[in-house]
Amino acid sequence: MKTLPTLLLARFRRDRVQIIVWLALFALLEVAGRGAVTETYGDDAERASVIRLVIMSPAILMLRGTPQGTDPDAFQFFLLFGFLGLMVGLMMTFLAVRHTRGDEEAGRAELVGSTPAGRIAPLLATALEGVILSALVGAIMGGVAFAYGADASGALLYGAALSAVGIAYLGVGLACAQLMRTSRGANGLAAAIVTLGYAFRAMGDATGTVQPDGLSMEAGWWSWLSPIGWGQAVAPYTHQRLWPLALCVALGAVLFAASAWLQSHRDLDSSIVPERAGRLHAPLSLSGPIGLVWRTLRNPVIGWTVGGALFGLVLGAVGQTVVDLVNTPDGQEAGQAITDTLAAIAGPNAEGGLIDLFTTGLFGFVGVLAAVGGVQAIMRARQDEAGGTAELVLAAPVSRFRWFSAYLLIGAASVAAVLAFAVLGAFVGLIGSPDVGERMSTVAEAGLAQLPACLVIVAVAALVFALVPRASIALGWAVLLVAIVLGQFGGLFGFPEWVRDISPFTHTPIVTAETIDWSAAWVMSGIAVVVAAGATALVRRRDLALGG
Amino acid sequence: MNTVIETRGLEKHFGRVRALDGLDLSVEAGEVHGFLGPNGAGKSTTIRVLLGLIRASGGNATLFGRDPWRDAVELHRRIAYVPGDVNLWSNLSGGESIDLLTRLRGGTTDKRAYAARREHLAEVFQFDPSKKGRTYSKGNRQKVALIAALATPADLYILDEPTSGLDPLMEAVFRQEIAALLGDGATVLLSSHILSEVEHLCDRVSIIRAGRTVETGTLAELRHLTRTEISFAGEGIDHAAFATIPGAHDLVVDGARVRFTADSDAMPDVLAALSRLRATGVTVNPPSLEELFMRHYHDEIDEPARSSLEGVR
Repeated sequence: MKTLPTLLLARFRRDRVQIIVWLALFALLEVAGRGAVTETYGDDAERASVIRLVIMSPAILMLRGTPQGTDPDAFQFFLLFGFLGLMVGLMMTFLAVRHTRGDEEAGRAELVGSTPAGRIAPLLATALEGVILSALVGAIMGGVAFAYGADASGALLYGAALSAVGIAYLGVGLACAQLMRTSRGANGLAAAIVTLGYAFRAMGDATGTVQPDGLSMEAGWWSWLSPIGWGQAVAPYTHQRLWPLALCVALGAVLFAASAWLQSHRDLDSSIVPERAGRLHAPLSLSGPIGLVWRTLRNPVIGWTVGGALFGLVLGAVGQTVVDLVNTPDGQEAGQAITDTLAAIAGPNAEGGLIDLFTTGLFGFVGVLAAVGGVQAIMRARQDEAGGTAELVLAAPVSRFRWFSAYLLIGAASVAAVLAFAVLGAFVGLIGSPDVGERMSTVAEAGLAQLPACLVIVAVAALVFALVPRASIALGWAVLLVAIVLGQFGGLFGFPEWVRDISPFTHTPIVTAETIDWSAAWVMSGIAVVVAAGATALVRRRDLALGG
Repeated sequence: MNTVIETRGLEKHFGRVRALDGLDLSVEAGEVHGFLGPNGAGKSTTIRVLLGLIRASGGNATLFGRDPWRDAVELHRRIAYVPGDVNLWSNLSGGESIDLLTRLRGGTTDKRAYAARREHLAEVFQFDPSKKGRTYSKGNRQKVALIAALATPADLYILDEPTSGLDPLMEAVFRQEIAALLGDGATVLLSSHILSEVEHLCDRVSIIRAGRTVETGTLAELRHLTRTEISFAGEGIDHAAFATIPGAHDLVVDGARVRFTADSDAMPDVLAALSRLRATGVTVNPPSLEELFMRHYHDEIDEPARSSLEGVR
């Protein structure tokens, strides 16, 4: 075990950038959440009125958690903890898989295993790194809470709850790495388990029972199936339960022990779930560039589309609750706060009813989702070019135009599919609302309105790929990020108008206006076509940029 | 004879790096042309220019008399290519990758012939097509590209170090398959730094170095430039008599053996002299490409320490 410190340090060194980004993201979320709570729900009365309404809306409970009274720290915990649990879960499972199955697949584990480090020390080093990082996340979050005035024991328990969830999912990640033959498979299984944990918690919270005070809830039994649910049950600012922490740590420890046993008993490069044999022959769909690009992007595109549909469903279902909220005498004040926020998201000239503001405002997020999927398709072209598979295709009688337009086509189709399924999801969610017909037409227009801006971003990413292939992955995502920050949140951050105008999202037609002005949509569609055509022409003219 | 590949003063610059610096290459129809050079000499760069994947910075290149950049798609219908470093789609099985590459080349029009050919190649190369791309070793990835290239007929095969990941048994299979192609009149450009492979297969070779052609010709022509290595048992022969061997270079007395080299065209006189000396245990090693190759990179390799006995002559 003399090798353990070396292995541990090597892991921290490899992850140094990622760790900083993750930790900064966590701290930022807590700070931003705290700011939003003080701003929007400043006093006990406001929080009480919001909680009373939220308790009656399962859809909001699913997204947030179970309220625990009007204490500002407890309110923050209620709003954010479920999401933080999801994040820490993904962080830990990815970390566990990267340093175990990922190393094994890349052949690094073989190299390390041939040294005195042996079979178990690398696994132990990975587990230790995960535990230390979980503790760090907890310490940072507890520290921020303490700095915002939470009492010491509450802040400590809050951090501990998040750390414990991290440790539980660390075990999940390690076990998945033992089960699956490839890191892609292990990451997929682990992410599914984490998401399922989030979903079970959501079910438990939606089916919770209201406490006699009318301001707090106990989660339903579904939550007991989820480590995130256990973390929530700690209720660090109110009940201060310790035993759910033990539950999380025990799960992590059991899974670690099982993984260590498997690791020391199995062969290198073997897995509990055997790798499925591939097809002997290619299906007919795999005959040209479009079939090939579809095959490589099928799973992510389906993922984004399902995400869009679910988002639409929740959006449709929650909309009516928001209207009810404003229509109760209690809700006027909280409702006004929500209306202001939504108006800022929806754009400077947005008018119309609250429910339409809500719908169109949130459809901006669907636009983000769609654009991410579209940009991913273009980035795939770069990965194929750098990875050498593009060379194989282009050495066959396939023109650059035919090759690259396949990525553009799949990217654009992915954008359209995400928006379409979000609209369909919203239709289902709207069933039972009053004025269904009118609502549905607004939703459909909101979905359509997002399309041109998304296509412009995909086209600009394509142009980046054509002009600076080697920098295109970083630059492509940067373009998207800037467009999102300026266009979707520019209003919230109070950027001047000319800065916001840089983003195509800023020019998305406002469907809540009296008469919808679609001229910007036509202009943007034209820009998208011209830019995409230019990018394709440039791809034809440049050298294939291999490697790096 | 028709010229299939022709480059004159071909240049390719990557920033300030001159990857190709005036490369001349001429490949005739129906020949196997060896394209030799150490790593980084510009072999792969030349091939990528010929395939229209990158554009030449200067000079000119033609394939079948056409421009490889402008007419890439039409030319590729006649070409099969195996890259030096084969990378596959991680989520496609080997069999799927082979089918895809063949379909892209339009090679599945005769389905039955293709299926039989693929089956045959998978068998001789002992290749399992059911595994996923990411789990294949380097050699197996290379087999995917080789099987796809050989499964349908082409006029020109461009093979970039095609056997660098294959074991000796598979190299032999590769040679057999290439030999079979030649019966059909195909042209092959075979880049390599494995000399035995080139000696076995190639009619003509071009040796390149730092982006330039330094030697080109048939093996016989090039052998002319090299020397035969001769050794015999020196016991009982007066050392002074060694000087009577005409055309002997670098003569070394190594214990009981005497070694020297001679120009290939001086061999009849050398053999006559050896018989006059009544030399026994004579071995004659024909000139190898290895030697030629080494000579061109001579200044890159440390001069081997030799105790020259030139003065004895």
